[in-house]
Amino acid sequence: MACMGCCKAMRPRYKRLVDDIFPVNPEDGLVKNNMDKLTFYALSSPEKLDRIGQYLATKLSRDVARRRISLVKIAMDALDQLLVSCHDYSLNLFVESFLKMVQKLLECDELELQILGTLSFVKFANIEEDTPSYHRRYDFFVSKFSSMCHSCAESENDRSKLIMSTRRIRTAGLKGLQGVVRKTVSDELQVNIWEPVHMDKIVPSLLYNMHDPGFAPVELESPKDDEHPAQVAETVFRDLVCRACFGNLKPVLKPILVHMDNHKLWGPKVFVIRCFKIVMYSVQQQYAYVVVQALMSHLDTHVHDSPEIKAAIVDVLFETVLIAAGASVGPSVLDVFNTLVKHLRISLDNKSSNESIRAEEKKFEEAIVNTIGQFANNLPDYQKIEIMMFVMAKFPQFTPDENYGVQMDSQLQTLLLKTLLKVATKYKTVNMANAFPQEFLLPLLSMSLFDDPAMRIIVQEILHTLIDRHDNTEKLLHVQVFKDISKAGFKVEKVNRPDALFIKKFGMHFYWYLQENIKLNSNRVDNFEALFCTMSLIAIEMNSKETVVELIRLGLDMQNIATNNLSLPMTHKCAIHALVAAFLCFVAQVCDLQQLHQYALEIVENRKTDAPHLLPDFAFNRKNRPASYADPDTVTLAEFQKQDYPQTETLKDTWLFQLDIITNLLSEQGLDLSRLSVPFTQKPFGISEPDGSRSMSDINSINLEFESTEGSPVLPKKRSSEDVTVESLKKMLSEDSTNKEEEEERRREIIHTFRTAPFEEIVARSEAKSNHFHNKLNEILSMVSKGSDSPSTLRRSSTKPATVFDIQFPELYVY
Amino acid sequence: MEDYKYLFKIVLIGEAGVGKTCLVRRFTQGLFPPGQAATIGVDFMIKTVEIEGDKVKLQIWDTAGQEKFRSITQSYYRAAHGLILVYDVCSQRTFDALPQWLTDIDSFANEKVLSYLVGNKIDRGDAREIPTHVGEQFAERYEMKYIETSAKEADNVDKLFLDIASRLTEDARERNRLIPGEDSMNISSNTKSISSCSRCFKF
Repeated sequence: MACMGCCKAMRPRYKRLVDDIFPVNPEDGLVKNNMDKLTFYALSSPEKLDRIGQYLATKLSRDVARRRISLVKIAMDALDQLLVSCHDYSLNLFVESFLKMVQKLLECDELELQILGTLSFVKFANIEEDTPSYHRRYDFFVSKFSSMCHSCAESENDRSKLIMSTRRIRTAGLKGLQGVVRKTVSDELQVNIWEPVHMDKIVPSLLYNMHDPGFAPVELESPKDDEHPAQVAETVFRDLVCRACFGNLKPVLKPILVHMDNHKLWGPKVFVIRCFKIVMYSVQQQYAYVVVQALMSHLDTHVHDSPEIKAAIVDVLFETVLIAAGASVGPSVLDVFNTLVKHLRISLDNKSSNESIRAEEKKFEEAIVNTIGQFANNLPDYQKIEIMMFVMAKFPQFTPDENYGVQMDSQLQTLLLKTLLKVATKYKTVNMANAFPQEFLLPLLSMSLFDDPAMRIIVQEILHTLIDRHDNTEKLLHVQVFKDISKAGFKVEKVNRPDALFIKKFGMHFYWYLQENIKLNSNRVDNFEALFCTMSLIAIEMNSKETVVELIRLGLDMQNIATNNLSLPMTHKCAIHALVAAFLCFVAQVCDLQQLHQYALEIVENRKTDAPHLLPDFAFNRKNRPASYADPDTVTLAEFQKQDYPQTETLKDTWLFQLDIITNLLSEQGLDLSRLSVPFTQKPFGISEPDGSRSMSDINSINLEFESTEGSPVLPKKRSSEDVTVESLKKMLSEDSTNKEEEEERRREIIHTFRTAPFEEIVARSEAKSNHFHNKLNEILSMVSKGSDSPSTLRRSSTKPATVFDIQFPELYVY
Repeated sequence: MEDYKYLFKIVLIGEAGVGKTCLVRRFTQGLFPPGQAATIGVDFMIKTVEIEGDKVKLQIWDTAGQEKFRSITQSYYRAAHGLILVYDVCSQRTFDALPQWLTDIDSFANEKVLSYLVGNKIDRGDAREIPTHVGEQFAERYEMKYIETSAKEADNVDKLFLDIASRLTEDARERNRLIPGEDSMNISSNTKSISSCSRCFKF
């Protein structure tokens, strides 16, 4: 030292200036005046800056080696000040020695020096550099800071001191990581911090501090402890996620998911959900779906894991979708739903026999259904219908693959139906035609004839939520005779034209399926109630002049079923009678038909005195059953206590709605009653009617045109020779694909049209469009020849002459 | 200014409780900490040694053996020049886990990494479950170097690290000789951060 003093004069100026900033007594701190001089010198001759840096670095590393900590602090202080004051191109060279010094400090095992180095680094990270540096690497810093984030100070004996120093070192590490990220993300020339090799260190370090159980934030101290590692980690984590762009998000998300796996954090799932909420709130909105996708694919990797973990993942998914809202689905809508439905199926395919595991699996399945609903909620309405059609295509009846159908059990079907219902509830119906496109409506209606009564109820509920636009469903959940609906608070709006057209077009489908539903032996109280609700909702939402007649017809037909069908049990018959009374009374009021309302009330009065079992209060009273049945919902109507029901089945005319009376009443209202006398059951609606296939556009146009010719005399119908039983229908359902079902519906329509309309009219219409039809004819013929290969057509052709296809249509369209 | 000619990264891996931290501390600090707690994440130590006149700096990353930290520790393999795979000679379980560790090395570490198999805790003579020759055979089969140590008795600990240091130095010199004109720092250029440039500015 003494020698150095002698040579002082001969030393370069910068060295002298640097030496001068160190005080004689290390405890005194930086010599301010001399530091100013050094700064001024550095600013005035920036070319010397790198030399100053190197010299300071040399001094500092010597001091570190000799553990002269106070001198080290002074040197770092000086370096910091120089860094801040020298925004210049030469900073680049200076930075090299600066970072070298930071590394030096981080390498030594003195806690204080490590923290000191980190703080300096953080200061440096906040400086915006205007000159890019190409060759800087931060591998060591990332490694070391990550290591600090996991550090546990050990030398201290005192526990509170130990916690304090652990906190400090971890906080320093976290801030250091933030510094590295800040320094590198903004500059494309820098090392790519988003590479997995870095992110695999950074992300787990942050997460570890956010959840470390032995180190959880002490709530009592202060709720917002800015210096607590958990808080710091969270801040840094947010900072990191919000900086990530599309390509960089995956390397961030993957370590998160792996970390959750490794530390078994899916178990109590609180932290995972919190963590992903942070991610979702921080991530740039347009990339939110990447997070959702990552969770989905993570679910894929956990396919064979315990249901708890899978349920937790799905729950997290649910939360993220909730936050992501519109941005949750991304480009591949169907893929999302496909994956979820796939998991639903896998879970059911491998269901466990163990009770408790099964319970967990059920939770998982429930979670998936909810999540699908949540996804659907974020879609525009037209896509919701698409999604419902997509889910529907998963039903065995609609999948062409035979093996597949065998594996599907009723549980899956129920779950799929629940899924449909979830999606449907999210749909806001504006226009019936949009809510029920033909491709959706017909399969849905055909599902309403499932064997399982519980599933049928769900189908009806789907119909309820889609038809109901005015929240009337709740008031219609129970069958009752509404004496005055204005008091019951129903919201009824005038039907608009598109809806009227819709019901004209598809009303028949609704009515036919409703009737078939009423006939089913397996119906329970709930089924009848659901059917009543559907019928009433149709009446409310689509009550045009034309429909009212058909609705009344529907009621009368149902009454006929109850009166004539011998196979139905007593309870069912009573329930149907009660339902019809309630329904007709309701329709009369909705459509403002005073006389009919009076008549309905009259009949209700008659029944009240003589036949109370035909009224809802009796027939739908769940208490009318033996007390031994604990669960009222699982009891079928047939199991009702029968002692209250009459022993003999007598039905007086005064108890029933009479067609001729109603006709008289309604004719005064100026309604077109021609249809009233044609029961739906006798319409050529049977599946085995001879018919041909038509292209859709044709049918619709013709159908609409001929519907308007109702004034013409109705031709007497030939009664369908083949009896349509429920069994045969079901068989058809399970065998026929969706398309066939639709085609047959259409065929029936057209046949019906041609039978009811006058021949001259048809001729006239056909002629006008003959050119068009000729083109169509070729199509039809080719379709027919193709169609005859399919099993259902083959089966049909065995009962009917096959030539019917070839002959009938040429005759009809030859004009 | 204190400097070094070569810098090597050495990563210690192996099942929890085989004595990785004790080995490192014995080597870097010369002490044997009784009741050493389980490492969390990754620990870092540095030690400079002299190999045939050259100063060699060893960056030693001591990883946690616990399963839950596996993913973060694996991210440290990549940059390693030397890997020390440690097992406990008194625990068959830690020996049985070795193949899994080798798969990890294959998938995460650099191809040219120098790996050492270390059987630790030989001071507990009678509790030994894996005889020396079994360990040796295993190491041979997987082309690793083999050594048995005792962190407690300081047996072979220095030898282990010095051996690694000298082998790595030798490799580095060899490479420098083959590619003349390139600075010795090249070998560590992908691992060393800023300091790799410092030599250029020396005056």
